[in-house]
Amino acid sequence: MIRTLQAAVAILSVLLATASPADETCMSPYMAKIVGQEDFVYIWTLGIDGVGDGQDKLVTVDVNPASVSYGQVVSFTSVGGRHEAHHSGLTDDRRYLWASGLDTSKIFIFDIHTNPAEPRLHRTLDDFVARSGGVVGPHTNYALPGRMLLTGLSNNRDHGGRTGMVEYTNGGDYITTHWMPTDDKLQGAVKSGNFADGYGYDARALPRRNVLVTSSFTGWNNYMMDLGTMMADEEAMKRFGNTMVVWDLHARQPKKVLDVPGAPLEIRCAWGARRNYCFTSTALTSKLWLIYEDEAGEWQAKDVADVGDASKVPLPVDISIAADDSLLWVNTWNDGKTRLFDISDPHAPRQVMEKQIGEQVNMVSQSWDGKRVYYTSSLLSNWDKTESTGGDLQYFKLYEWDGETLTPKFHIDFLAEGLGGPHQMRFGSYALYGKSRPQQTVAAGTAQ
Amino acid sequence: MTIAAVAWLAVIAALIPRAAAAPSDHDHAVPQALAPGYSALEFDPPAPGGYALPPLGKAADGPVLDSSGKARRLHDYLGDKLVVLSFIYTRCSDVNGCPLATFVLKGVQDRILATPKLEGAVRLVSFSFDPWYDTPAVLNRYASHFRKPEFDWRFLTTHSEAEMRPILDAYGQWIVRDYDDAGNYLGTVSHLLRVYLIDRQLRVRNIYSTSFLHADTVVNDLRTVLAQTRRDSNLE
Repeated sequence: MIRTLQAAVAILSVLLATASPADETCMSPYMAKIVGQEDFVYIWTLGIDGVGDGQDKLVTVDVNPASVSYGQVVSFTSVGGRHEAHHSGLTDDRRYLWASGLDTSKIFIFDIHTNPAEPRLHRTLDDFVARSGGVVGPHTNYALPGRMLLTGLSNNRDHGGRTGMVEYTNGGDYITTHWMPTDDKLQGAVKSGNFADGYGYDARALPRRNVLVTSSFTGWNNYMMDLGTMMADEEAMKRFGNTMVVWDLHARQPKKVLDVPGAPLEIRCAWGARRNYCFTSTALTSKLWLIYEDEAGEWQAKDVADVGDASKVPLPVDISIAADDSLLWVNTWNDGKTRLFDISDPHAPRQVMEKQIGEQVNMVSQSWDGKRVYYTSSLLSNWDKTESTGGDLQYFKLYEWDGETLTPKFHIDFLAEGLGGPHQMRFGSYALYGKSRPQQTVAAGTAQ
Repeated sequence: MTIAAVAWLAVIAALIPRAAAAPSDHDHAVPQALAPGYSALEFDPPAPGGYALPPLGKAADGPVLDSSGKARRLHDYLGDKLVVLSFIYTRCSDVNGCPLATFVLKGVQDRILATPKLEGAVRLVSFSFDPWYDTPAVLNRYASHFRKPEFDWRFLTTHSEAEMRPILDAYGQWIVRDYDDAGNYLGTVSHLLRVYLIDRQLRVRNIYSTSFLHADTVVNDLRTVLAQTRRDSNLE
């Protein structure tokens, strides 16, 4: 097989807005995509005191069945101390992985192209708060052309939820800050409901509509607080985001503030060329929401489905949309379940299955074809469960999805391995960089 | 090739541009959706001058060859005008890659020629990252299909890969040459399309890729940078 065919199996491509990539389903539309078998999953992992070296680390797992180390940790890079490892993202050329810490606001930039099996810490940004003018808690690391957009969760004035988004060059140089619109400073946006809280969390772009959509969570005071303490604190529970904002992507200007009460978290937008909508889940009210452009060209928000029984606080966390926009995986952290919704009619999602993944479950990432579904368990250091009832607390798991059933393929116990609490997953591949898997790692009798 | 690989290729051919997909037996295959830059914009772009384009860093320099084969520096073409710089190679056959960049730059040229206020203020530069094939003569032939005689559109190449690479690295334009298993260069280059807007202070002011590149937005950005430059001049 010529090397370009290998490159095609996992490809560095120029991208179309109309293409249909899948965890690739969760990625920026500006980014090169892996469309075949991914070689590695990079897992940004929370350090836990007494577990291994106790530090936050980027863990690399070999996930290619053609490898001799399939299903094994092949390397990890600790970053020194604990920073509240949470989310990570790739630059548009996929050469670098950015991983941020919600507590210390440090950003760790890993080189993943020189040796995809062993990411190397390339640069650390330790002045995010000062450079941004007071944004705290870098969360989403989102690729735009030649630059990275980082959403914040908090600020250094009161450590509450008011925050902004910060742009950097791919090389890690600060560009600018965009503060979220608030009641007292709407910045030209239309407040369409009751709230303009200025909170932030996730961001996703729909370039064909020149739209950027953002969601809202809570500030440092809450996300660093013990979960039980916070839930018993009536005032603290009032300080969660109730908004999503539709921005002019090109101008980076807020256009409309939408009411989405109950902490809307991850945003996943449809990929179809004429599908102008995104989904989110609300953590506190346990619902799926649709953010969509109506026939008049106005962006609207409405709740379209319940996720489990809200009275039992299932706590929806990560979601993952299928390549053809027909299905949406929805994880609920508290009960450790994954649920699958048929979203063929985005205005009326229908749950079609659910499965217990672990004692807690947070992130879900699927391959381009949707046949491989990966899960991790950790949410936040002070919210994660610590007392295991079944030895299934902190893990990385792979399932195969055949359209009806999730079949477990392998799992790695991150506590037993001395690694920590696994969180965000990103995929890696040799072929993205014109490289081939080293011959000594190819399993006998397999083709790459 | 395994059966699984064949299946993957079918999916890939249907969904993505050909930049890194297999040549030869797949060339004839599947109709491909065109990038937004080939059609009318699907949205009303923000008004020129009504938004900021903060600098993204310094535009790098390096040795280049002009279309007559004369040795020059890239900075010889930057600084006196706003510049739209595109990295291409002429053998690129991915319709949503280099041909898109050149199509959009031609659209920028046409819009500027129709806008007296912009004439003389903008230069287009197409820079080849295939010096082995894209000699000045080849670039001249390529340019003749797109450049209007009265417009300032330069086509540049380099003496060698060694001279070209540092320039590409400095701009973050990453490329991968495609080889077969015997190590033979296939003449194709996998890359992420990048186009840069550079101001008179040699600062990058915007970067465009396939989903983002459109003549209307590029011209609006040029007008935005010009408006800011004029405002700054008035303040001095």
